[in-house]
Amino acid sequence: MTTPMLEIRNLHARIEEREILKGVTLTVPRGEVHAIMGRNGSGKSTLSYVLAGKEDYEITEGEVLLDGVSLLEMDPSERAAAGLFLAFQYPIEIPGVATMTFLKAAINAQRKARGEGELSTPDFMRAVKDAGRDLNVDSDMLKRALNVGFSGGEKKRAEILQMALLKPKMCVLDETDSGLDIDALKVVSDGVNALRGPDRAMLVITHYQRLLNHIVPDVVHVFSDGRVVESGGKDLALELEAKGYAGFDGAAA
Amino acid sequence: MSIHTPVRIGPAEATLIAQLGAVGAKAAAERLSVIGLPTRKVESYHYTDLKMLLRSVPELAHAEKATSAPALRIPGAYRIPMTNGLADLDGREPGVLRSALVPGSALSERDDVLVRLNMALAAKSLKLEIAGEMEQVLHIDRRSEGDAAHVNDSVHLFVADGSKATVIETFSGTDEAHLSNHASYVAVGKGATLTHILVDLSPAQATNFAVAEYHIAEGAALRTVTIHAGSVLSRINLFAKFEGEGAHGDFTGLNLVSDGQHSDLTLELSHAVPRCTSKPLYKQIARGRSVAAFQGKIVVAKHAQKTDAKLMMQGLMLSDEAQILSKPELEIFADDVVCGHGSTVGALDEDSLFYLMSRGIPKAEAESMLVRGFLDEVLDPIEGEALHEALEAVVVKWLAA
Repeated sequence: MTTPMLEIRNLHARIEEREILKGVTLTVPRGEVHAIMGRNGSGKSTLSYVLAGKEDYEITEGEVLLDGVSLLEMDPSERAAAGLFLAFQYPIEIPGVATMTFLKAAINAQRKARGEGELSTPDFMRAVKDAGRDLNVDSDMLKRALNVGFSGGEKKRAEILQMALLKPKMCVLDETDSGLDIDALKVVSDGVNALRGPDRAMLVITHYQRLLNHIVPDVVHVFSDGRVVESGGKDLALELEAKGYAGFDGAAA
Repeated sequence: MSIHTPVRIGPAEATLIAQLGAVGAKAAAERLSVIGLPTRKVESYHYTDLKMLLRSVPELAHAEKATSAPALRIPGAYRIPMTNGLADLDGREPGVLRSALVPGSALSERDDVLVRLNMALAAKSLKLEIAGEMEQVLHIDRRSEGDAAHVNDSVHLFVADGSKATVIETFSGTDEAHLSNHASYVAVGKGATLTHILVDLSPAQATNFAVAEYHIAEGAALRTVTIHAGSVLSRINLFAKFEGEGAHGDFTGLNLVSDGQHSDLTLELSHAVPRCTSKPLYKQIARGRSVAAFQGKIVVAKHAQKTDAKLMMQGLMLSDEAQILSKPELEIFADDVVCGHGSTVGALDEDSLFYLMSRGIPKAEAESMLVRGFLDEVLDPIEGEALHEALEAVVVKWLAA
């Protein structure tokens, strides 16, 4: 049996005194796309932040393995270099940092961490242009400061552009559909689908089933009160849509 | 009515009084012996108690050869070296520039100790006149050389009507406990455009004082950039006055203050005539145990209607032991003006740091990117690639130190 791309075992995390993740266990094999669905406040976004290494959370129990390597001791930049990517629900606006400067710094930092040489400027420009074309990210957008003044749709497209450029092993998409209209949703979903492949896995966190019409998952997990309470095929998302989350509360108890 | 009780004269004051006496500046010597150096009770020195902070004063400077490494190289610039107060003119200046040495300080009289000292002690001024468009950046490379010395130097810069220029003055020198007091008198002619940059790159033990006064004529556009990135104790006084209508001034600065340093930037801006606009923007970063202070005062005269002035100070604390002080003041005597001021201080934004790191950028590099992003608003408008890169390098070097 091959090593799963992501393995989460009995993960507990809290912020200050409040426990938010209460024993998450989840495995995403390489090449698969899994969805996590759950109502607001169930801990879905916390899971994404904990995976990426945000400092606000204290891990009290459990472990997380990325391609067999333990993540929890690493800082966020080391996790990224190890192949983890989080597409933010609310990408951060950073005035004064040009988008292109940021992209180049990120790509080269990851290459350096993996012992690879820096990308030359022409190669970098070409890579950005190619990736940008499919996502309708034009050079004008790239000239601006990172995410500053970007519309909701532009921010999400920029996230997927980063994902395409950084070529992570494991993509975590946190509510990537939020704030998108139908057309933008299609562009973003097509961008994500183009990145599906046998050596990459994805965890798509969403509140609504509609994203999963575009990014069709292999497995759907239902998240409630800080843990996975039910897992199944893509039809589980439809069942959720029909029955609501109430039908799954306490299922794991 | 006030009653003067004699002040206790400390060693720094005693030396200054003796130095003033030695050059025959009796009035200035007497004044200093009566009032002493300013304490925090003097409003304009509220954050910088010179009586307490200035412990000693080295001997008056004498002529020295420049031996220190250049603090800043700007490819393509026309450089005039000024060593211990003496400018070295090579006679090869571009056609639009005329230079000469004239006796005395270029400053106007003012009730300020640094002004009085410079007026008494600066033997000569470098007088520069730019008539036309000067394409080369003019770099006045002021250095304090040799053993620890008390240097008073002076530059008189006139940018003639309709002319255009970029002038940078750097302060640096040998690694000694110099006391330097640099004066700049800057007159911007009608419709002229000037970028005037002062950069303190003095060595770690040095004390750096500077006074720059700006006279801005009708329709002129002035950008000033004042950067502190060196010296243990620094006080820079900027006095600016709009003297002709329809002029614009961007007064900007970076106060980069490291452990053990105390640096004070003080701006006094006078809107003396109608229809001028100004945007003072100062950014301060303090790390270690340090003090960064900014005072900004805008005075709008009674007949200076349609003045538009917005003063902003933003501070970034890189340590819990650092202090960032800010005192904006508006004195408005006109009734048809738009004036405002703001002041913010904070630490690096944790969410921004996490975002950059989540893309693989290591913490130190991510912090550096955020700090540079914070400063970018001041550096970005500076035109000329070589100059821009040289100033970026000052910031990068400061961050890495």
